[in-house]
Amino acid sequence: MPVLQTTNFGNIFFAPESVFEFPRGLPGFEERRRFVPVQNPQTAPILFLQSLEEPSLCFVTLPVLVVDPQYRLQMMEPDLEILGWPADRQPRIGEDVLCLAVLSFQKSGTTANLLAPVVVGLNNHKAVQAVAPESDYSHQHALFPQEATVCS
Amino acid sequence: MLMMSRRQGETILIGDEIEIVIAHIGRSRVKVGIRAPRQTTVIAQEVKLVGEENRAAAQAPSETVLKALLAQLQPAAHTLRPQSDE
Repeated sequence: MPVLQTTNFGNIFFAPESVFEFPRGLPGFEERRRFVPVQNPQTAPILFLQSLEEPSLCFVTLPVLVVDPQYRLQMMEPDLEILGWPADRQPRIGEDVLCLAVLSFQKSGTTANLLAPVVVGLNNHKAVQAVAPESDYSHQHALFPQEATVCS
Repeated sequence: MLMMSRRQGETILIGDEIEIVIAHIGRSRVKVGIRAPRQTTVIAQEVKLVGEENRAAAQAPSETVLKALLAQLQPAAHTLRPQSDE
């Protein structure tokens, strides 16, 4: 089993068939094409996407349905094509694709990018960060709105 | 901002090298063709936003931040687990 050196996890072993392949990279990281999913029981349900090409590059993601159980995937045709999926219907989350929201840790709180989820074909592990320009989802969806701090 | 009305098939020129064609007008969307020099980046605004967001997201969180997130998440993840029909 190949070993990968990473900044965040030290050396990790990974199965070559588990690798997610992003034929166009991700916006802002167009040259980073291969990521390995890293998960462990202590940090579930978080899934880390560790770059195979850049040891220090690692995205922190959550299954989109954990962030929003009602989430509706709306992929554009070129993105569907990358997954090898027909243009006439949307893939189903969990059955056809893995759908992940990339988290961002700001001083003001943690946000999830629901405007552009990472979508991975379960059958071929082809992946794309699918920007949904017609959706009303935010690229900075607050994970835990501060309602708990409101004084009565 | 300069506003122009164009019909389907008509073109707008920007400088000598950029050409914008209104290729198709649908009910709620317009298909636009863009001819520009290779070195000019042409992307939808959302893609730029997502690129900036990705660069911010690529900064790994501290262990404290991650632990705090997990503490909030784990009870939530439990109750939010999608229902199985079986």
